[in-house]
Amino acid sequence: MPAPQVDSSAELVRRACRGDMGAFEALYREHVGRVYGLCLRMTGHPQSAEDLTQDTFVSAWRSLPGYEGRSSFSTWLHRIAVNAVLARRRSPQGRSEVSMTDEAGEQMDFEAEGRMDEATPIDVERAIASLPPGARDIVVLHGIYGYSHEEAAGMLGVAVGTCKAQLHRARHLMRAQMGTEHAT
Amino acid sequence: MSTIPFGPRNPPDDPLLAKAGELPKDVAPPRDLWPAIAARIAEGGEAPKKQAFRWPLALAAALLVASVSALLTWSLLRDPQAAGPAVIARAPAADFVPVRYGPNSGVSPAELAARDALLVQFRDAFATLRPETREAIQKNLAVMQAAADEIDAALAQDPASGMLQGMLAGTYKQELNLYSTVVTSRDGLTRRT
Repeated sequence: MPAPQVDSSAELVRRACRGDMGAFEALYREHVGRVYGLCLRMTGHPQSAEDLTQDTFVSAWRSLPGYEGRSSFSTWLHRIAVNAVLARRRSPQGRSEVSMTDEAGEQMDFEAEGRMDEATPIDVERAIASLPPGARDIVVLHGIYGYSHEEAAGMLGVAVGTCKAQLHRARHLMRAQMGTEHAT
Repeated sequence: MSTIPFGPRNPPDDPLLAKAGELPKDVAPPRDLWPAIAARIAEGGEAPKKQAFRWPLALAAALLVASVSALLTWSLLRDPQAAGPAVIARAPAADFVPVRYGPNSGVSPAELAARDALLVQFRDAFATLRPETREAIQKNLAVMQAAADEIDAALAQDPASGMLQGMLAGTYKQELNLYSTVVTSRDGLTRRT
């Protein structure tokens, strides 16, 4: 008879809750790529993304007893990471960091359409990185990491309608950006 | 690596979003971050501890904010003279303190900038209010500050709670409502006089 499938994350979380640092390190190894990827794409700054990834795991360790398993551990970790990113943006340090676009994307025209099948992953990453923060957040959470509008809105602390509007804006801005690049 | 499925659950119609969904979810950091994380954890203590549950306190504080704000709004709307130019001496500009949101709250820079813009108008209006109205506003802001602190402390324990983030967003909205009610009330009165 096959052994019952064990949710390895759940077991590791249980052990980490009891103070098992080895288990928490295993959770770190399992999830660090996604957490760092999320932070890097939301901030556009490798150094900030490293700091925020550290903050996320330290905060997760302290908060482990409050994790009740209502969402997957990965989703829970992502919520912590998103909160850390938003908190950093509010801080004087975060405000002084030069965003890859700030609100410059507002000036883009929306004429360039199509050519999406020619776009490489690098083109898409670059177009996402060029978005203003609010629009970039929703593309990262919804477009890349697959969260629903409701989940993304909850993470970002905005209304679902705001999320949808930001996504609409982001799609236009990305098309304009990518169309421009392909045209040159 | 994890086998948890990621990417849109329903493939999007938009080819651009489909392309975004195909991007790798994992990005390896340029160096191993674990030693620094382990060191920070070691500084903070041996093991995670179950802390006193602050959620009910945060909820009570958020509910209090909603009720006192509604009361103040009702009184200002019922008696617009309270926001009127009945005060002869202007109050000092630093007579009220906007709510300070803690390190765990998710209030965005854009939201804080929106509040700062509204505060410019509110400062002018506040200085012309009757003393009793100013006092009511100060008490209101103190209640909001207490709620923001309580929710922030709860978020420190449960940083992934969407409900707590929602409560914080509610407190922020009540703060903005307070400023805009006073500004609107004052403007309305100015137009009538």
